[in-house]
Amino acid sequence: MDDIVTFSHVSKLYKEQQALQDLSFTLRKGETTAILGGNGAGKTTAISLMLGLMTPTSGEVTLFGHTPNARGVKERLGAMLQDVSVMDGLKVGELLQLFRSYYSAPLSFERLMTLTGLTPNDLKRRVEKLSGGQKRRVNFALALAGNPELLFFDEPTVGMDVTARRLFWQTINALQQQGKTIVFTTHYLQEADEVADRLLLFKQGTLIADGSVATIKGSLALHVISFIPGSGITCSMCAELPTVKDVQEDDGRIILKVENSDRVLQALFEKQWNVNGILVSQGSLDVAFETLTKGEAI
Amino acid sequence: MTMFIAQCQAELRRLFRNKFYVIWSLCVPIFFYFLYTKIISIPMKNEEAWHIHYLMSMTVFSVMGSSIMSIGMRLVQERAFGWTHYLRVTPLPSSLYFLAKMVSQTLIHVVSIIIIFLVGYVMNDIQLTWSSWIGAACWILVMSLPFLALGLMIGTMKSVDTAAGIANVLYLGLAITGGLWMPVDVFPSLVQKMVHYLPSYQYGSGAWAITTGHYPSLSMMASLIGYFLLFMVVSLYIHKKQEGVA
Repeated sequence: MDDIVTFSHVSKLYKEQQALQDLSFTLRKGETTAILGGNGAGKTTAISLMLGLMTPTSGEVTLFGHTPNARGVKERLGAMLQDVSVMDGLKVGELLQLFRSYYSAPLSFERLMTLTGLTPNDLKRRVEKLSGGQKRRVNFALALAGNPELLFFDEPTVGMDVTARRLFWQTINALQQQGKTIVFTTHYLQEADEVADRLLLFKQGTLIADGSVATIKGSLALHVISFIPGSGITCSMCAELPTVKDVQEDDGRIILKVENSDRVLQALFEKQWNVNGILVSQGSLDVAFETLTKGEAI
Repeated sequence: MTMFIAQCQAELRRLFRNKFYVIWSLCVPIFFYFLYTKIISIPMKNEEAWHIHYLMSMTVFSVMGSSIMSIGMRLVQERAFGWTHYLRVTPLPSSLYFLAKMVSQTLIHVVSIIIIFLVGYVMNDIQLTWSSWIGAACWILVMSLPFLALGLMIGTMKSVDTAAGIANVLYLGLAITGGLWMPVDVFPSLVQKMVHYLPSYQYGSGAWAITTGHYPSLSMMASLIGYFLLFMVVSLYIHKKQEGVA
């Protein structure tokens, strides 16, 4: 059984709004998947469905071949969610011990401490007295407590400082080596780019791209063509050119984001437009991501 | 099983470390007891009877308070902090989570009862038969159920502040009007009649009856069980309604 998470035709209506629309994908064992998208794209909803915190309005979600709330499924997963504060009134060590008791084969204290960077001193402190960054570490430790095969992180690095962030990704790397299946959501393309094998790009509740980082980069990366327009050349005219995704005007130059720069240049010459100082450059994945998730293509 | 014991242990630790518990369930009742049996002398025909009566009042006050305040407030807080949500991702079944809360709350009540009884015994040399001590303790322990259910009802509220406000008003209001702070004899006769319908008065009456050599009356039990069912039904109804929304 190599299919760890499957979504088949999953839709979710949430507070009378379509949060997810007809979503289908499969996550395989050992894969690290990044779910990317802007605010309200449906990332957290997708995670909540996987964890059984929500049930789909239609379609089916399975984890390890069972429904997410089936017996034994929770034993095999760990999660770090957004906006979860740790239980107060306990010391960090006591809380970890409590969580370890939930699982049949938990990780040892020593392992948890090395993986998360918690110090013996931290273990003696009350959870409510921790700083935001330390709380995130505790949350991370709780997610790992049961030595799970499948790990979920919803916006894991929000509120982490640079050191904590680096340690977090190092640990994720070590977990990847052990063959764990990892799913995380992020706003930052760079994180996804560095860590994930696979990207799922969400926009307004639909999956607009699914593939390896390299493939998505290749297919999505837009080229940028800019020039100084002569009289009579307007933005709306430029938008009519082939494969143009975005038109902007900045500092007297018109800047086009295009899928195929060859065809645009060809069209420019054929039309014999009055333009000067043409520059062509390779767009970054960031640009593509921004165009895809935020603005509608013109 | 280890999971359940660990959960109870964690809940107990949290309850004992809670300043509210130590202050309102132990310090305040003990201070009041000291005040009204040692400092301020209340003209009573039988001083010894008053010492026993007021000891029961304060124990009932203590247990009623932690029943209303602890569970309800904990539930609201844990929900507001996303904790309840998070536990659903772990193998801990929510039934065990609730059961551990109930068990640890009961253990805390046992501790409160023992401490306050001991204080009475030491401070005013109260002499009761073993059966009266144990009978009163059992009554106070078991009949805290309606107040735990009231706590659960408060526990369905969304905002921590609203829940805290309402719980405080209910708790102090019920304590005063139920004759736990001062005997209901001091109230006007019309008020006295109304007071008889309050769960806190019925709760206290049972303990007062046991320590004066009587049995709690059927009407006391019936009214407390009635309140228990009422609060349970209302909180379950609200809970179901909230689940429907999510």
